[in-house]
This record gives sequence, C-alpha cells and structure tokens, in this order.
Amino acid sequence: MLRFILRRLLAGVILLFVASSLAYLLLYLGAGDIARQILGVSATQEQVAAKAAQLGLDQPLIVRYVDWVGHAITGDFGASWFTSQPVVAAITSRLAVTLSLVIGTTVVTALVGTALGVWAARKRGAADRFVQIVSVLGFAIPGFLIAIFLVNVFALNLGWFKPTGFVQLSTSFPGWLSTVTLPILALSIGAIAAIASQVRGSVIDTMRQDWVRTLRSRGLSENRVLYKHVLRNAGGPALAVLAVQFVGLLGGAIIVEKIFAIPGLGPVAVDSTARGDIPLVMGLVVVTAAIVVVVNIVIEILHGFLNPKARIS
Amino acid sequence: MSESASTPVPTVAAELRAARSHVGRRLLKNPTGLVALIVLTVMVLLAVFADLLAPMDPSKANIQDVLAPAGGAHPLGADSAGRDVLSRLLFATRFSIAGALWAVLIAAVIGVTSGLIAGYYQKWFESVSVWVISIIQALPGIVVLLAARAVVGPSIWLIMAVFGVILSPAFYRLTYTAVVGVRNELFIDAARVAGVGDASIIGRHILSVVRAPIIIQAALLAGIGIAVQSGLDFLGLGDTNVPTWGQMLSDAFSRMYQAPVLLIWPSLAIALTSISLVLFGNALRDELERAAGKPKKKRRGTTGYVPDTSGDAPVVHDEERADDRPTLLAVDGLVVGYDQPDGGVKQVVNGVSLTVRKGEVHGLIGESGSGKTQTAWSILRLLPAGGRIVAGTVSFDGKDLAHLSESAMVKIRGRRIAYIPQEPMSNLDPSFTIGSQLVEPMTVTLGISKAEAKERALALLGRVGLPDPKKTFDSYPHEVSGGQAQRVLIAGAVSCEADLIIADEPTTALDVTVQADILDLLRDLQSDLHVAVLIVTHNFGVVADLCDRVSVMQNGRIVETGPARSIFRGPRHPYTRSLFDAILEDGAARGPLAHSADRNTITERSAR
Amino acid sequence: MFRFKRAAVLAVAGTLALAGCSAGGSGGDGGSGNGSGGTLTWGVIAEASTFAQKDMRWANESPYAQAVYDTLLRADAEGKIEPGLATEWSYNEDKTVLTMTLRDDVTFTNGETLTAEDAAKSLLAFKGGQSPNATNLINLTDAKAIDDTTLELTLDAPNPALETYLTQNSGLVAPVEAIDDPATAQNPVGSGPYILNTDETVVGSSYAFDKNPDYWNPDDQHYDKLVLQYYADPTSLLNAVQGGQVNVTNTIDVSSIDQMTATGYTANEFALNWWGFLLSDREGTLAPELADVKVRQAINYALDKESLVKTVGSGYGTPTSQIFPPSSPSFDESLEDFYSYDLDKAKDLMAEAGYADGFEVTMPRAPAIPESHWTLYADQLAQIGITVNYEEQAGAEFIPAILGGKYPMTWFTLQQDPTDYQLAQFQIAEAATWNTLHQSTPEVEQWVSTMQTGTEDEAVEAGKALNTYIVENAWFAPMYRPTAIFMSDANTKVTTQVGNAVPYLWNVQPK
Repeated sequence: MLRFILRRLLAGVILLFVASSLAYLLLYLGAGDIARQILGVSATQEQVAAKAAQLGLDQPLIVRYVDWVGHAITGDFGASWFTSQPVVAAITSRLAVTLSLVIGTTVVTALVGTALGVWAARKRGAADRFVQIVSVLGFAIPGFLIAIFLVNVFALNLGWFKPTGFVQLSTSFPGWLSTVTLPILALSIGAIAAIASQVRGSVIDTMRQDWVRTLRSRGLSENRVLYKHVLRNAGGPALAVLAVQFVGLLGGAIIVEKIFAIPGLGPVAVDSTARGDIPLVMGLVVVTAAIVVVVNIVIEILHGFLNPKARIS
Repeated sequence: MSESASTPVPTVAAELRAARSHVGRRLLKNPTGLVALIVLTVMVLLAVFADLLAPMDPSKANIQDVLAPAGGAHPLGADSAGRDVLSRLLFATRFSIAGALWAVLIAAVIGVTSGLIAGYYQKWFESVSVWVISIIQALPGIVVLLAARAVVGPSIWLIMAVFGVILSPAFYRLTYTAVVGVRNELFIDAARVAGVGDASIIGRHILSVVRAPIIIQAALLAGIGIAVQSGLDFLGLGDTNVPTWGQMLSDAFSRMYQAPVLLIWPSLAIALTSISLVLFGNALRDELERAAGKPKKKRRGTTGYVPDTSGDAPVVHDEERADDRPTLLAVDGLVVGYDQPDGGVKQVVNGVSLTVRKGEVHGLIGESGSGKTQTAWSILRLLPAGGRIVAGTVSFDGKDLAHLSESAMVKIRGRRIAYIPQEPMSNLDPSFTIGSQLVEPMTVTLGISKAEAKERALALLGRVGLPDPKKTFDSYPHEVSGGQAQRVLIAGAVSCEADLIIADEPTTALDVTVQADILDLLRDLQSDLHVAVLIVTHNFGVVADLCDRVSVMQNGRIVETGPARSIFRGPRHPYTRSLFDAILEDGAARGPLAHSADRNTITERSAR
Repeated sequence: MFRFKRAAVLAVAGTLALAGCSAGGSGGDGGSGNGSGGTLTWGVIAEASTFAQKDMRWANESPYAQAVYDTLLRADAEGKIEPGLATEWSYNEDKTVLTMTLRDDVTFTNGETLTAEDAAKSLLAFKGGQSPNATNLINLTDAKAIDDTTLELTLDAPNPALETYLTQNSGLVAPVEAIDDPATAQNPVGSGPYILNTDETVVGSSYAFDKNPDYWNPDDQHYDKLVLQYYADPTSLLNAVQGGQVNVTNTIDVSSIDQMTATGYTANEFALNWWGFLLSDREGTLAPELADVKVRQAINYALDKESLVKTVGSGYGTPTSQIFPPSSPSFDESLEDFYSYDLDKAKDLMAEAGYADGFEVTMPRAPAIPESHWTLYADQLAQIGITVNYEEQAGAEFIPAILGGKYPMTWFTLQQDPTDYQLAQFQIAEAATWNTLHQSTPEVEQWVSTMQTGTEDEAVEAGKALNTYIVENAWFAPMYRPTAIFMSDANTKVTTQVGNAVPYLWNVQPK
C-alpha cells in the first residue's frame, strides 16, 4: 500500500514537472509587457526597463525557467509581481476557502447524487424520468444563472443566507454555513446530475450481475443486496465521475466565487492570468495539478477499497 | 480452425448493420429523440440559411436604435449597439454551432485516432497516450484556455481547436475501452486469422462498434462546447469579429436592468440546443440499450419460441417402484413471460409441470434456450427485470410461491430453497471476501451470531473439499479458481440447511476434470443431508450420475418425464432421442450466440 | 492614475432573477452601522494590494491607506490643501525646497512618537517603492529632518502638484523601523484613525479595523469599527447592496444604479474622468489624414455625444469638448459645447480636407470593454466615412500597445487629475505618457512650462490658453465626462472627493 502510494506520488511529481513546464512555456509565449503593466502608465521607459531587469524578464526563457524550478523545489514560488505578496501565502489562505467549497460540494453531490441515482435505478419509470430531467436541466442551465436565482430567492427575499461574503469555518460554524450553503447548492446542481445518472447506470448494470441473484437466493432481501453489495460495486465508476467532477468544480468555483464575493482561488486565477502574473499563475498551476494528482491517488485508494481486484498488494 | 471461425465475421457484421439501422429507425419513433432531432435540424437549417433569413446586416450598429423594443424594423428589437437582434441571432446560430462542432471534430479526430491505436496496438503508444492525457487533465483547463487565448488571439476557431484538444481525452477513453473490449473477440481474431489487414479491421469492425457511443459523446461535448464558448464570451474573451450566442448573452447581461428581454433569445437558443443535444444522446443510448437487450433475451431462451402453448402432453414414464416420499415442490402449468416494450408478453416457459419429492434429485434437461433456467429462476422468483410468472402455481411445502409476497419469499430463499448457479466466477460479489459472503446469509436467515456463522462457514469450506478453508475464507473471489469458487457456492447453498437446492448447470462452466469432482461433492452432500435437488443441465452424463428422476425440456415445455433409469433405457420422445444421439457425437449442445451477446454488452456499457 | 470602467465584465441574471430583484428591494437592515460609534461597512472595488506604506496604492485603495496611516497634508472635498501631520509648510523662492512643520503629538501604533525623521524616510522609501504612483516624487532629490518636527524636502525642479501628492499615498508616514519590514504588507504600523484587526480580516475579501484609541484627531473617527469589504463583480456588489450588507460602496457598473437606489440607497454623483478619442498622430506619421486639423475637427463634430451618454453611459455622463474638469481653473464653460453634433459640418470639413470618401484607420480594442461600445464608436466614425479596423489587444497588452505608439488614434478614458499641471504633464505635454506619439508644439510646451514654474496667476492663465488651444486644434475628441457614483445607505452621509475615485475616509459619517 505504502509502495503504491509512493509510486503514484513519484509519478505525480513527474506529472507536475511536465505540466508546470508546459504551463510556463505557454505563459511565457502569452506574456506581454509585464513591467509596464506593473508600474502603470506613468512610469518612464527607463523605470520599466529597470523593473524588467529586476524581475529577470530580460533573461532568456531557459534561465528564467531553471531559476523558477530551482526555487519551486524548495517550496519558494516567489512573490506576485503585482502585489509582492508571497505566492505561497497568497494561495494557501485562499486555497482553504476554495477547498471548503469544493469539498462541501463534493460531499453534498456524492450523497444526493447517489440517493437520486439509486432511487431512479430502483423505481425506474417516473423517478427515472425525474432524474433525467434534473440531469438535463443541471447540464443545460449555466451555474451562474442558478447562483443568481438562489441569491434572489434565499438571500434577498427570504433572508435565510448571506448574499455575499465568506466566514471562515474556524471562526464560526453557523457563519460559515450561512455563507457557503448557497454557493455549494449552486455548484452542486450540475454535479449532482452527473453523479446521479452515473449511479443510476451502474446500479442498473450491477443489478443485472449474476451474483446479485445468487446473494438474493441465499435469503438476503433486495434492499440489503442493493445497499450493501450493489452500491459498493457500482461505486467504482461513480467515484471516477466524482473525481472528474471534483477537478471540474475547481474551475466552476471561479464563477460562483465571483458572484458570491468569496475570497477563494477564483478571483486570483482570473486576475493573475489576465495580468500575466507568472509567479502567481505558476503557483496556481502547481497547486491545482497537485490537487488533481492527490485526488486521483485518493480515488484510486478508495477504488481499491471498493474493488479488491484493483487493490495493489 | 480458420475455416470454421471465419463464418461468424460476415454474420456478425450483417447483424450489426441490421441492429444499427434498427436503432436509427427506432430513434425516429422515440418521441424525445424525434423532438431533439427536429430542434437540432431546425438549428442547423437556420445556421446554414442565415444569409437568406436575416433581414439586416448583423453587425450594423445604429446609435438611435440602441435597445429599441421589438417591432417595426426590428422584429426582436435591437441590442446595446442598436444592431438587429433577429439577424444577430441567426448568424450567432451559425457561428456558435460551427464553433462547437469544430471543437468536437478536433477532439474526436485526436481522441478516436489515438484511442484506436492505443487500444489496438497497446504497447508504448498506450503508455505515451496515458501520460499525455494525464497531463492534459492535470492542467487546469480554464488557465490553459486563458493562456492559449493570450497566445493565439481571440479567433473563435483557434480557441475552439485548443478546447477540442482539451476535450479529446473523453473520446480517447471511450474508444480505448471499447477497442480493448473487442480486440480479443472471436470475430476480430477470426478476421485477423483470415488475413484482413489491421487498418481494415479497425475501420470495419472496431470503428463500427464505437460509432454510436462516439455520437452520444459528441452530442454531450457539443453542448459543453457551446457552454464554454459562452463562458469565454461572458468573461469578455470571445471573438468579437463574429456574433455568437455567448456574445449576445454577455451583451444582454450588461443591459439586464434596462432591457431584460434581450436575455431571452440567446438563453433560449443555448438552452434549447444543449437540452436537445443531451436528449438526443440519451435517446440514442436508450435505443441502443434496447437494441442490445434483444439478443440477450435470446440467450435466455426465446430461440425457437413457439407461441402455441397447447402443444403435446409430455411423455410420462411410469414409476418403476412406489415412492412414498412426500412431494416437496410441485410446479403446475408454469408460464413465464417477459413484458415487451410494445405491451405484449414474450413467453419463454409455456406451461411446465414437475414435482420434486423430499430428498429426491430431479434432473431438468434440455438444450440452451429450452427454458429450463427460466423455470429454475421462477421457482425462486428471481427472474431478471421484466420477467414474471404469467400463469401456473409453484407449490412448495403448502405455499404457492408464485403468489407469495416478496417479504415472505425472502424467508423462503436460502433457508428453505437454495441455489447453485452456473458460472462460479460471476456469481460471487467481487468486492467482498468469500467468507463474508458466506457469513452474511447465515446471520440473516438463521439468526446466528457472526462468530458462530464463521465457524460454520469454515467447517463448510472444509466439507466441500477446499484444502485451506481459512485461506479461502479470507480470499476475494478473483483469488480462487473456478472449481474452488463453485465449491464455495455449493457451500453457500447448503449453509442455511435448505430442503431443496436448485442447481443450475453446476458443472457446465468448469474443466472436465473438475466437473467430476463437483459432481462427486454434490452426490455426497445430497446423500449426507438428504436434501432434495432440482438440477438443471444439458448433460445426460450428469443426469445418469445423480438423478432419480428426469424431465426433458424443449421450447419451454416438458416433452418427456419419468424415472431416470426408465428414460435412459427407453427414450420415447424424438427430441430426447436426438439429445442422446448428440452426446454420443459431441458432448456439448450449446448455441453459437454467446459472443454476439457479449459484444452487445460492451457496446451498451461504453455507451454510458 | 486611470482605471478601466469595470462596466466590462457584467452581471448575469435570468428574468426570473430580475423579478426577484425588484420584489426583494426592501432595503435590508442597513448593515450594522447606524449612529456614531457603530460599524461602517464600506464596499471597496479593489482589494488591498498591500498595506506597506512605501508600496501603498491610491484611488480605490485609498480607504485602506487612510484607515491606518496619516498623510503629511490633507485635501478637503474640493481638493484644497489643508494641514495634516504638517501644520505649516512653505516653499523657498524658486520652489525647490519645501519646509514643513510637523505635529509633535502623534504616536504610531507601535508606541513610538512620530518625528520628522520618520516622515523623511517614508517619503524616500515611497519614491523607491513599488507603488504605481512612486513617480509622483520623481522631482524629490532629498528629504531630511532638521529637528524632530521640521522636515525639509529638496526638489530638482518645481512641481506644482507636490502638495497634492502629499495629501495622497505619497505623503503617508510610517515609523522608521517599520518602513522596510515586509510584514507591514499584511500588518501595517501607522498612526491612522484605525488599526487593522488581522484576526477578523479575511485577506482578499473583508478587512476589519478597530478604532485607534490613541488617535490624535478623534473628530475624524466617526465609527468604532470599520470593515472594508471587497467586491470584484457587479452582480455580487448589487446583491450586497440589496441585502443591506454595506453602508457605502463605490460602484462598478452604472446600469445597476437604479436597482440600488430602489433599495433606499443614495447615489452620490461626481465627475472623475473624461471619455473619448485620443487623436495622438497630429503630425500624420502613422495616419497622414490626421495631420489635417479639419479631419480632427470633423471627428469631433461627428460624435453624437448626447446619444453616446444615453447608450454607452446609461445616461450617466455630461457631454463635453474639453478634457479639463469643471473643478479646474483652466476649465472654460464656453468650450463645453465647442463641438456639438453636426454631421453636415463634419462632412464638409472632411471634403475640404480632401477626404470626402473617408479613409481607413487602425485602432486597438480591449476585451475588458463591452464589445457594443467599440461597435458604436466605429459607427460614429463611419458616419463621416472613416472605417475603423480594430486590432484586438489582450487585457495586458492594450495599454502597452497604445503607449508604445502603435496607433494614430484610440478610444480611452483618463482621470481628470486634481491639479491642471498634473493633467498637462500626464496627457498633453510632449513628454506626457498619454501624448502617446509625443508630438507637441512650442506654444504648448511654453504653457506647460509656465504652469510648472510661473506664479499662480501665470499658471492659471497658461492653463486657460492651453485648454483653448487643444480644443480648437482638436488634440482630442472627448465624448463626455462619465458620472462617477458612490452609493450610501439611509444612515450614512457622504461627501465625494474631487479627483479621487472614492470619498476620503473622514468624509463618510453617520447621519
């Protein structure tokens, strides 16, 4: 197990390296006159040139890249070119916010999606149609429309939740709940649809398995077989979808964070890419890629737990 | 080998073609599919003929007409630059759909090609593809798109091409899985042996298998393409040289308090198109599932189905000697049918009657598809979805199982009637240890403690001849051989001390050497426990070995029944006689359809 | 110095949501601040880039700075210079040495007393700092403490705007020992009316401040608590206003003003920017047609300013033909409608110049500005036959491309600085950043020079002459002055600030 994790981590590190190199190259190609951007319009050409030299922008790509990698390995991702805030500090404070959103959404999605999926698989007919309709709507309605709708109904009209802002979980749980509930709902709806239809499909598939009949022939009730055995077997594909959803949610959080004025990674991602703040963007790339790697390892371990065949001894 | 195996290729291909055209026709009859198709067709027509339909130049601004209401020169009003909304909507349809299709096309070309190559040849290409795809997926898509846009500029075609690359893993995975699934199929092997080139195999056989799933995937991804396009436009990063729905939407957003009505048209267009794409994909999938479901049922017993239920009465051999054992199970006039989508019922068992006495071994013999397994399942009331007992009674110990409630039935199963399945490997839950699968039913049906159940299970595992019961107890199903698994299943069947065991071809899936051991085990157990057995088989050897009494089934009916000895001595029904002739020649009498059914299963799975 | 109108990335809502908006406009509970001593929650549309004195920004970030720091001088709401940390100040004869007398009763939050040494070091640190306004102090060659309360600034040339700069971020004072401490970026040490509460602050979202109990000027502390709440998106800002989560806020998008006033907020209007074309290539090096003053005038006459205010500006703006603001001494009321919309005259001028059939011109365009704006601008020019070929510039490229002198003309919006000298130095003079091709005439340079070195009266005269000259010679083609709007709730009184994006902190008080 430990060897498996180590091996996957190593592969993840290589993956991180390749992905960050690619990203660096892309950003380098896309970068504009950053020194001018930083100093603003009133700076003189000399100041701009000096700033560029200070940031190492006059160095060739390979030198800058090697320099970046050298520091990154030691955990030093530099400081934002625009705010001088250390990249690590800028990201960690916001990462917690985004992760609390995304993890909350994933939990809600997994629970509700599974429940809906099982319901549809069992009842078929009307329930099936209901889940299908919800799926189609969740797929077709953009998340931001759902978000605005939720804000208007539950925050502005009913006053149950805060329309904007964010309270740290460590500060106050009710406060946290009053600020994250609507964003999580807005994010969940699309994801729930995906999970529900996946669970529905795999449950139906699994219910057709021979061993389901055999277990039932031993006197186990259909529900017992369903909740204990079928769900565990159907969990594998659903987990894979959940992993994809999790990564997708990191992107989806951007718009929701914007609408709810939540200080997560979203605003940083949009601003830093728009401004060409390479240290910050690279930090984001590494963090997201690392999350993807970790999530995939976790999913694989969970998958191994659900499916002994996939287990690595 | 090559001679006999090359025949399935044309057969399968023809069957496939038939199934496909069938799906196409069915799709038109599927109401949601039809509506979705109509909406999509209308959208495409509007896009194609935008030049002819649009009343104005979609880009001509007019400051006097800014936010003009609908009516007059502007049937749908004018936008925030005074441009005609109707004209823009028509041209936006053209560019939005073209952009989305372009992304999907790029994704499909890259994904399907690499998926085919990786799946078909595997080796290094596969490892490389897996890496490339991991990298694509590890990079945050939005950041890549934003950066790509900064590099390549705002052109919708370049951006959607980049997005196509990001989407390509979806097609890759789909194609790869399907190809790996079929590459070792008989008909592919056969084609290869028959000297068909790789390219031709990929093109003719493999591609045709993944085509429908690819269409479904493409429909979904086209929807995502439209969404991403409008997302980019929303962030102000779209291509302002051409009108798109996203462009219109973000323009409407900026004026949503002055002219909310502007939001309606682009939203409607996006929603309608996305929903139609999803519904089209779903409908296609549903129809594929339905089409794939057909041959499956064939395997379960509709081959040579004769709707005539009256038929001849079975040939009954006289009892050789009086048997005073009480009747345990009496099936009378059992009719099993499957509900059809058109509302009809397809019968697979047409009035079967048989009895099993206490402690007796009753063999139910017939070739594949004769309805014997359906009969066995209906006694347990474990028919597959859609199947049900249409008529007849199943008396067991004074209760009519055919009409018993499900909860009462749960109490019968395991405790009173046990079941030994045919394929040992597929009949154990792969996610739980063998031990836990034995313990759980015992604790539930016998109400004993876990510890006691475990003790019993270990004893049983030893009893059924497993050399290391503890090891097997802790093993997962994939860690034991087929023969061992069948012993485990037999142990499971006897674990709850049932009075009747229904054994469905318990040896068919096993090696010949193992078959004999299992039969020995069954015989030993039966004589030890004095349990009644209804054994379903196509093998007269098994019958000769074990059975007191035999019923021969053909086409869902019993054609001959009586004491085993008597039937062996003088089979009277021509069908029984032909079965006897068959075992003398060959030993097996199984149909050739298994593979086509498997193939359909794969298609169906990848479609999801 | 300038900023994009964030009208760009606009909000989002279905008609359903709209119905919700109007129905839900019950005003909220007015934040939590009513009456003196409560909490002021202020919606800010820029997050705090830093709290370090030497790197501090201004404009939308000025509340962050004014909460924790004091400035050497202060400006009243009209921009008139008033005492701040300095009670008296005077220039020498040739205006190259500024001597200031500082208060002796000011303490920093680290307990130290503020001295001239702190002020001198702060000024020099700011000049070498990361602030985009660091160049404000470009003429400052030295700053030294004569004694604890006497500060002497030495300039290499007179700078009429220096006193104004000292009322802004350039004039912030931090204790010597904290100036170079990187920790102050997140946890500042200043002498201001409030102290950053890092426990309650969520960086990038909500900045909480407590009243400084030892503040030297308690009259300016109107609240016990100050919360600066950052909003980047017009929709979330509108939601916050409708939910009553802020007492006052700057606005991102004028089209939602009506929604905000409907919930009981007051729109405090003021002028800040001008908005129109920079006709930079007056010598015709890139576009020979622009060398003819008749063509430039024709462009001015072709602008339907009333309609542009109505459409592009959602009605919030004042048509104008000059780039100097009404608050400026150089402003001339009679120039306001010097070029009123007259298509015939414009066409005649084009014909006289020999361009009756028009010509083509290349302009940059940025995705941050709504696409419909660009389309309407092009349409205005199309009226007199000028065909605009837009070159799309990515967000980060737009300004460098303009400043790099790539384009003969472009649309832009620039702030109308508080002093005329600033404005001339920034937008008109040969060396001015926004004279993108750096073309000028001797008269113009002479007037600008007089504004720098002449007496106050001479400077005013020169300014007026300069303004008239550039309007008549059509150096620019202004469309209008967009109305800047700062919202306040029923419990809060606001006085807007000339030349700044938001009011100064002490001008926001409980009613």
